[in-house]
Amino acid sequence: MKTNENSRREFLATTLFAGAALAGCGGNPFTPDEVADVKPSGEMVKLLSVDGEIIEVDKAFLKPVPEMPSVPNSEARVGIPGKKFAMVIDLSRCKSVKKCQSACNHMHHIHPGQNWIKVYPMQESEKTAPYWQPTTCMHCDEPPCVKVCPVDATFKRKDGIVLIDSDRCVGCRFCMAACPYSSRVFNWEEPQIAKEIADKPYSCETSIPQKKGTVGKCDFCPDMVRQGGLPHCVSACPNGVFFFGDILEDSVTNGAETFRFSDLIKDKSGYRLMEDLGTKPSVYYLPPVNRNFPFENNEGEKK
Amino acid sequence: MKKHKIIQILLLIIALSPSILMAQAVEKNSLSLNLKYFNDNNITHHLLVQAKSKIDGKFQTIPNITIQFYIGTEADKRNLLGKRVTNDRGEAIIEIPPTAKDAWLKSPNQNFLVVSTATKQFEAGQGDLAITKAKLKIDTAEGKMITAKMVALVDTIWKPIAAVDVIVGVKRLGGILNANETQTFPTDSATGGVIAEFKRDSIPGDQNGNITIIATVADNDKYGNLSSEMQVPWGKKSLYMTNFDHRTLFARRGHSPIWLELLAYTIVIAVWSIIIFLLFQIKKIKKLGFE
Amino acid sequence: MENLAENKIVLDLLPQKFGKQGQIWVVCLLAICAVGFYAYCRQLYYGLEVTALRDYASWGIYISNFVFFVAISLVGSLITAVLRLTDVHWSTPLTRIAEIIAVSAISFAGLIIIVDMGRPDRFYNLFTHGRLQSPIIWDVIVITTYLFISLLLLYFPLLPDLKIMIAFKDKNGKWLQKLYEFLGSFWKNKPEQFKITDKAINILSITIIPVAFAIHTVTSWLFATTYRPGWDSTNFGAYFISGAFLVGAGGVLIAMYVFRTHYKLEKYITDDHFDKMGKVVVLLALVYLYFNINEFLVPAFKMKKSEEEHLMGLFTGEFSPIFWFAISASMLIPILILVFKKGRKPKWSFFAGILVVVGSWFKRFLIVTPTLLHPFLPMHDVPKNYTTYIPTWEEWAIAGGSLAGALLVITFFARIFPIIPIHETIIETESHEKA
Ligand code: SF4
Ligand code: SF4
Repeated sequence: MKTNENSRREFLATTLFAGAALAGCGGNPFTPDEVADVKPSGEMVKLLSVDGEIIEVDKAFLKPVPEMPSVPNSEARVGIPGKKFAMVIDLSRCKSVKKCQSACNHMHHIHPGQNWIKVYPMQESEKTAPYWQPTTCMHCDEPPCVKVCPVDATFKRKDGIVLIDSDRCVGCRFCMAACPYSSRVFNWEEPQIAKEIADKPYSCETSIPQKKGTVGKCDFCPDMVRQGGLPHCVSACPNGVFFFGDILEDSVTNGAETFRFSDLIKDKSGYRLMEDLGTKPSVYYLPPVNRNFPFENNEGEKK
Repeated sequence: MKKHKIIQILLLIIALSPSILMAQAVEKNSLSLNLKYFNDNNITHHLLVQAKSKIDGKFQTIPNITIQFYIGTEADKRNLLGKRVTNDRGEAIIEIPPTAKDAWLKSPNQNFLVVSTATKQFEAGQGDLAITKAKLKIDTAEGKMITAKMVALVDTIWKPIAAVDVIVGVKRLGGILNANETQTFPTDSATGGVIAEFKRDSIPGDQNGNITIIATVADNDKYGNLSSEMQVPWGKKSLYMTNFDHRTLFARRGHSPIWLELLAYTIVIAVWSIIIFLLFQIKKIKKLGFE
Repeated sequence: MENLAENKIVLDLLPQKFGKQGQIWVVCLLAICAVGFYAYCRQLYYGLEVTALRDYASWGIYISNFVFFVAISLVGSLITAVLRLTDVHWSTPLTRIAEIIAVSAISFAGLIIIVDMGRPDRFYNLFTHGRLQSPIIWDVIVITTYLFISLLLLYFPLLPDLKIMIAFKDKNGKWLQKLYEFLGSFWKNKPEQFKITDKAINILSITIIPVAFAIHTVTSWLFATTYRPGWDSTNFGAYFISGAFLVGAGGVLIAMYVFRTHYKLEKYITDDHFDKMGKVVVLLALVYLYFNINEFLVPAFKMKKSEEEHLMGLFTGEFSPIFWFAISASMLIPILILVFKKGRKPKWSFFAGILVVVGSWFKRFLIVTPTLLHPFLPMHDVPKNYTTYIPTWEEWAIAGGSLAGALLVITFFARIFPIIPIHETIIETESHEKA
């Protein structure tokens, strides 16, 4: 056992020094499947190990990935390899706290009044139960918005995310007409954002900065995912309504709880919105049964 | 420590004396810095600080705050690990640099300190943390069992630690999928170990069916955050499929369906050849006219 | 004798300088254009914020105006091609009016689309990054094609007339003379030349029909390719085309009346023409009515939940005044007027034409806006003013400016070129007399 461990450590140290990928061996600060995706940056940093030794690690392999520059446009159009993202929204937990909305608005510097995430008070008919339904962009697998875009300004990626290139968009708003979920918003005027943000080069993955005369919408926060994080709405929700994950890993998480996606959908009868339209959304809903909170709509009073 | 602060304030007053009246007029918010320690796989370790402030009765995370990280209890230049600026989520991370070697090796317990200077909107902030050095090691046992062992440094010896809650599971995007229905496993007193049966059969792994199993201790008062990972071939081989390069109506430019291209190009070519033909007819008329 | 008649025709039909009325007309149009241009500058500067368009009503009167322009431009193909191919000769004097309406309307359709874009500065992206899957690209392609074909169809029959014009050297100004010579100095009335133009016009008449159908069908697909209630219809192409023929024919009625009274062309645009055109309008209105009944009765019979709000909004709700006005003005009343022989007299026809055109404009508004204001998920989490759509003065000014601009193009064309084909009229009268 002991020798085994020793040799492992030795092996580790050498590979770390080389900054190369290693597979089939535990105890490294990065997961092998990530190694497959992450290319070594070639930039080495010297760090102090837990044991007090000085080691050298490739920057790209650091565990909380350091703030990375946004990926170039060509890469942002293809997506994160080997992933297929999905979201599960548990309607039984939602009581319209709207922390998701405010976090999203704040992080994406959305124009005041507009929202990428909307929380609808729903009631199918008079005698059916009312419930809250948060909506994001559904990141449809056959997205009608992408079908109609004349200039490839909105596009579907390998990892299932539908993004917008605000440097390309001509502002025809055909995609807004085509989206049945009303998830797109438009920058009717010059966005009200701080100058240092407005001056940043636009990145499709952060959707920042929004630009006048172009369209915007929920982007599933691929920049956060690249850094190993979760979309802002997921981490902001105090009730854990939003679950996010990789369908190919068959798991979704709201940060605190992680479920096997297929089990969750099976056990709770998950469904998608407007299935009959054939848009094949990537967002699944868990029905509002056994609710954690009673439905109280005070929105009228607040205004 | 106190002296330091007084000097700081004095300096501030001198620097701001022309605008001191204005500065007083603006009420500053106090800033709380929450510091956490992370041991990543017993190799690297880092500190994470989150800056928060209560604005209008609500706690908000504060970006763009410069944080100085110190090892030890004194905000002394020699102890400085580095400076970082909080990001959009109000967080800043620092890896422990080689310069901290001596301080780190001194004792089994370690203190850290973070300090931020006052800004236009916020007062100076401070946060500290004391941890005991510990290690968590993951391993497997016969019959798809995952084991983990928790040890901490007592004087100079690593000793097993009991009654620490360990999460054991499969590493997934953004979270850990528990190995079975149990959420956390307390370490036993004899070996500081936990044992969990792996019940996530046919969970998708990579192309070779490998998955990463992970054991973590989260937000422990004494030891901070520890994690340990390992790769095992317990998963289902995954087959990655995508229609990204297919010709579909929702594909990118140049990837439209063949029927559409054929249809469109035939029509366009047919009609435009007629137009071009007619333009040549005009030329012919011209020629006839000048004959 | 023949020569005398010919000279008279030529003199009658030569383009005339603007009279007092003409000048006032042109100045008015220019003024409207200027206001529209000012409004557009504001829009360029402040963004689409100056419009009442918001996230729900993301398309508004610009797009309805666009549809209207495309619709009215279809008339060129109707009068010129359909009637020419079916060997109907009474329409000869109307062909050029129809063609110039088509050309100016389709050009302004293109312009108004640029006006509607959030980033007109990136217009070139449509060419450098165009995606064949998008109906907008199809629209761009067919509209340019239609414009070219219409221009050619305007040009070929103009050649013999140009020769006549060039002969009046002293009457034309220096610039006009140069223009005429540039366009047609090579025309020598040679039989070989006639042979070529006749063939060309025939080819064009055939080609323009499918292209014309394409422009409006594709335009209807901008709506019908989405899921929204009121747009999600397989009927849409035919519905749009029948509507387009109607508004185009209405437009020709107006133009006929205006040119006839203004240029004193009673001999060339006769009561008989109004009579026949009136009948055509009745027929087209009935066809359009048929499609309307299809469009509204069938979904109203089922009353699907998603359609219900939209339909009730039109029938009895907020849009009902406009809806019933549009239906009666563009179809019912014109039919009632033009069905009677007396109603097909010039003055009444003119009135009916105006009703058709105005009603049709509002019909286009109803196609675009109410649907957008009835999305699948209820309107929520938006500022109050996002849930309604009342166009701002800038939008009216720009839309009005574009309409005025189209009229201006027609006016100037009539000032420069004979609005009634001289040569063809001569031939027609000759063959008439011989017979
Ligand atoms: S929800 Fe709307 S915007 Fe999002 S992918 Fe689907 S159609 Fe596009
Ligand atoms: S508004 Fe922009 S993203 Fe949407 S269809 Fe038009 S060009 Fe594409």
